[in-house]
Amino acid sequence: MFNFTLILPELFVLCMVCVVMLVDLFVEQRQQVLTYALTQLTLVGAAILTLCIYCIPTTANFSGLTVHDHLGSVLKLAIYITSFFVFLYSRNYFRQQNMGKGEPYLLGLCSILGMMVLVSAHNFLTLYLGLELMSLPIYALTALQRDKEQALEAAIKYFILGALASALLLYGLSMIYGASGSLDITQVANVIGANSTQHPLIFVFGLVFVVAGLAFKIGLVPFHMWLPDVYTGAPNAATLFLAVAPKVAVIGMTIRLLVECLPGLQVQWQELLIVISVLSMILGNFVAIVQTNIKRMLAYSTIAHGGYILLGFIAGTAAGYSAALFYTLAYAIMSLGAFGIITLLSKQGFDVETIEDLQGLNDRNPWLAFMMMLLLFSMAGLPPTIGFFAKLSLIEALVSTHFVWLACIAMLVAVIGVYYYLRVIKVMYFDKPLDNKPFSLAWDAKMAITINGLAILYFGIFPGALITLCQQLFWSGTMLN
Amino acid sequence: MQLLLTAILLPPLLGAILAGIFGTIIGRVASHRVTVLGVLISFICSCIIFKNFILDHQSTQNIIAYTWGTSGAFQFNVGFLIDNLTATMLMVVTSVSLLVHVYSIGYMRGDAGYQRFFSYISLFTFAMLMLITANNFFQLFFGWEAVGLVSYLLIGFWFTREPANFGSLKAFIVNRVSDVGFILGIGGVITLFGTVDFLPVLAQAPKVAASLPTISLFAGTSWSIITVICILLFIGAMGKSAQMPLHIWLPESMEGPTPISALIHAATMVTAGVYMVARLSPLYELSASALTFILVIGATTALFTGILGVVQNDIKRVIAYSTLSQLGYMVAALGASAFAAGIFHLVTHAAFKALLFLAAGSVILALHHEQDMRKMGGLRRYLPLTYSCFLVGALALAAIPPFSGFYSKDAIIEAVHLSTIHGASYAYVALMIGVFVTALYIFRAFFMTFHGSCSANSASQDNIRENGWVIWLPLVILAIASITIGMIVKHADALQLALHAFTSLPFWLAIAGIVTAWFCYVIRPAIPAMLANKFSWLYYILIKKYGFDDFNQIVFVRGTRALAQLLYNYGDQRLIDDGLVNGSGRLIQWISATLKRLQTGYIYNYALAMIIGVLALVLWQMLIA
Amino acid sequence: MITLNSALIVTAILFSLSLIGLVLNRHNLIVLLMCVELMLLAVNTNFIIFSHFLNDLAGQVFVFFILAVAAAEAAIGLAILILIFRKQKTINVSELNTLKG
Repeated sequence: MFNFTLILPELFVLCMVCVVMLVDLFVEQRQQVLTYALTQLTLVGAAILTLCIYCIPTTANFSGLTVHDHLGSVLKLAIYITSFFVFLYSRNYFRQQNMGKGEPYLLGLCSILGMMVLVSAHNFLTLYLGLELMSLPIYALTALQRDKEQALEAAIKYFILGALASALLLYGLSMIYGASGSLDITQVANVIGANSTQHPLIFVFGLVFVVAGLAFKIGLVPFHMWLPDVYTGAPNAATLFLAVAPKVAVIGMTIRLLVECLPGLQVQWQELLIVISVLSMILGNFVAIVQTNIKRMLAYSTIAHGGYILLGFIAGTAAGYSAALFYTLAYAIMSLGAFGIITLLSKQGFDVETIEDLQGLNDRNPWLAFMMMLLLFSMAGLPPTIGFFAKLSLIEALVSTHFVWLACIAMLVAVIGVYYYLRVIKVMYFDKPLDNKPFSLAWDAKMAITINGLAILYFGIFPGALITLCQQLFWSGTMLN
Repeated sequence: MQLLLTAILLPPLLGAILAGIFGTIIGRVASHRVTVLGVLISFICSCIIFKNFILDHQSTQNIIAYTWGTSGAFQFNVGFLIDNLTATMLMVVTSVSLLVHVYSIGYMRGDAGYQRFFSYISLFTFAMLMLITANNFFQLFFGWEAVGLVSYLLIGFWFTREPANFGSLKAFIVNRVSDVGFILGIGGVITLFGTVDFLPVLAQAPKVAASLPTISLFAGTSWSIITVICILLFIGAMGKSAQMPLHIWLPESMEGPTPISALIHAATMVTAGVYMVARLSPLYELSASALTFILVIGATTALFTGILGVVQNDIKRVIAYSTLSQLGYMVAALGASAFAAGIFHLVTHAAFKALLFLAAGSVILALHHEQDMRKMGGLRRYLPLTYSCFLVGALALAAIPPFSGFYSKDAIIEAVHLSTIHGASYAYVALMIGVFVTALYIFRAFFMTFHGSCSANSASQDNIRENGWVIWLPLVILAIASITIGMIVKHADALQLALHAFTSLPFWLAIAGIVTAWFCYVIRPAIPAMLANKFSWLYYILIKKYGFDDFNQIVFVRGTRALAQLLYNYGDQRLIDDGLVNGSGRLIQWISATLKRLQTGYIYNYALAMIIGVLALVLWQMLIA
Repeated sequence: MITLNSALIVTAILFSLSLIGLVLNRHNLIVLLMCVELMLLAVNTNFIIFSHFLNDLAGQVFVFFILAVAAAEAAIGLAILILIFRKQKTINVSELNTLKG
């Protein structure tokens, strides 16, 4: 009932948030390295704790408020690992761009705590709290560069629209609560499953609002409007943060809500998702073509990738869900690297903004250019990178459930997508640099980006282990209900 | 076993990566050290495999190392098939590659692209090893294309020279043409057998053939599918192993550095086609028509490309035509179902042809990159070691007992003689004449280069001297191999076979060839010019290489250009460029710009979009329900 | 006695009003923050109504949490608003459109 062992990682991170806050108050500006080190230690510690309790079988904890299962653990590990790299890439940026002392780390840790709660939520209440705990620090993180107009504009847009989306989600959840009489995910699933042929209209009504809320958080058409503006306006490090781990967490929430809570309404949400997914893939890929700002281009490509992830849910089978999860993890690694490189390239008083800023990167730092090329290849879905397998497994899941036409659309727009990724590669390799100075990196950042880029290649050549892991998460035995 | 294979395959790849990507950082010496070390490890492990399989008669092993992907019932495996054939090929590839690596240290000294060169040949070794260890068609095809790619890169290694670019493009394009056949053949295998693994395909083949599957390629005709597949696959082999009429790329490939000519365009890559047919021999056995096709192509290549060697003046080109001709012998052996003889000749040929190329390279290096034999002569005095090595290679090539070439060529001629399929008698005659021609052209080159008066001017004569040990050591090793391989393989009847040769026709034909060459180029050097004048029409045909190049130039190149121009003007520019490409490009740009305008930047518009989205979805779902 | 349906209609109207407020207001950022609060209030009312009719306390507990989160949200929203005012000397919504396209 009340098993504190199972929430040890969350408790640990919570304690460390307090510790970091206090330490940060008492150390000098110069010794910011302490805050940074503590933050990274927190992530490592949380990862070790999560691994220690990984093997404990699936249990509902705290009267069903949270659940401990492999899905949650894997998502948490993905969140720690990606966040570790995020902090590593952003460290210099935070220092140079005058983004406060320990604030970015503190806000990041709070947000990570929210994600942890979110992915192991088993009740609408914890789900909502986790979601808000994840989002609120990110609003603040976006506005942390107080003297940059665009960042503030991005923050207020993100904030208002995010609040709107949370309200939509809550409104939908209240409807489902009213109709089912429970906030517990398993119980709601049982109530809906009991009268599976005819659902009260109110369920469908609630479902639409829930899907709208989820679509906003993933960034899908027509709830995507915030995404390009926030990605562009936010400081590069904040963009990096909000592009990676929150995506993983939100996909976890989507699995909890749609797959675990509302499988009885699968026919309905499949229809909704088809429309949203097709619109996202088309709009994302098309609008990305005409962008000159690299962050904005990647933002639109994020919208398209969100559309692809939905394809797995549309397939509606265990293979589909695992493909969606695999795609999410792949996307997390890719966007981590891409935004990471953009962050690393930004110097004091100079943010990498436009695609031209990458001109001749090959002449300035060939290794970085090569890594970026791998990442872009992967985003475009070319073998032998992980992106290829991610797309392949999605298409396979779709075809095996007879959504052949959808698979065709997905492939067609992917071809359009290749264009704008390759354009960046062309700029990096064939254009002359504006600034001829060679660009060098600190050893830790260099190592991190190397691991990041080679992971793309490694999982592209040996995808077996990761795919098997994703598949095991959706075996009937491992889920709570 | 898997560990051993990893130790064979990965070191060359690692060497290639190190020398290729980090070449400028680690420097020239370290680059050749890592690549030589990689190939050395590979060679030692190959020796172990060779011992296990050939000497200790271990049974065939089929290893599936890794499943790369699954699509339906279809698996893409990385797998290895190790048997006597693979073990032999491993030995040939790694040993020649090792010697060529060492040789290149001397030959490429001072070249600007030193690291790039070592990276390429190491990469080539890796690709070739992948090719010969593959247990399925896909992996074979991977290796096939990878060696083709490296071959292309190496022919065009000196990319500032126009002929090098031309030659590399020619090799690339001709190989693409043959690849079409190869891919279609693999497609045929998949449809017929439902798998791409060699063992199941070969096991099922007799059963499938017994049901006599046919295919109607043109309306009203019916072909045996097995024959079609065999011929399609062989078309792939014709490109890679340079059989007529797809042989035209090999002479041009001599624009690459000489070590490359020895390794890729003589000893290993060009024999990939022979290897492939031998690997699939049970399949080919089921189709007499395919075998006839192979036999005729092989015999034709063996004779007619050999004749071309007689009129060439570039020392490397003579040897290149000789390679073509010897490949023809190997292919003819395959056609006569003498697969073992074909592979035997492949092995001996690898040794003596690599020797000839490397010796020619030694001459070229000593003369500061002079390749024209008319400007050589009398080099015997300056390059005694190279001279004797070249002589050994020439004798082996001319099939003089007891040199290795004799045993393998004898086996081929004997097999063709005994063969009863259609075209066997033609092939027998062609190969017989080929023996004479072979001896003639190689000794012509030998006498022109090393005998007679020295045509180099006296100032440069003093500079002609033997090269360092990295050059001569591989020569000596290969020379020893060229002398002994045949005797080792045929150890029991080596002497008897050699004695028997003195009473057989091929031996005397070879002797006649040597004597002719000696008479025409040493005793009476005026004779060749006189003959060329007298039979100027014949000489013209030979200089024009039977007109293959001109035919291609006129029919394919000009014809294709004219067709292309037509299509370009009407199809491409008007329909595709203006209509489809630019049209769709413009359409996409237009759509993008329009969609982009939706993103107004106002919060209330964004909120409106979200609200409209929710309302639309709600209404839609309510109406359905 | 108030029926469930009529109570739900009231909250729906409340929710719609706040949505309309978000879309129609083009001048004052503070009004946007108010609309967000109003939206959450509508949701709270919804939870209370259901809690009452279902005889289940969980819904009312949820409301307390939403109130707490709404307070935190308002704090962050107002902080950003102050930063914007300090930087641009205006909180006019229609002037916040440098990011677009």
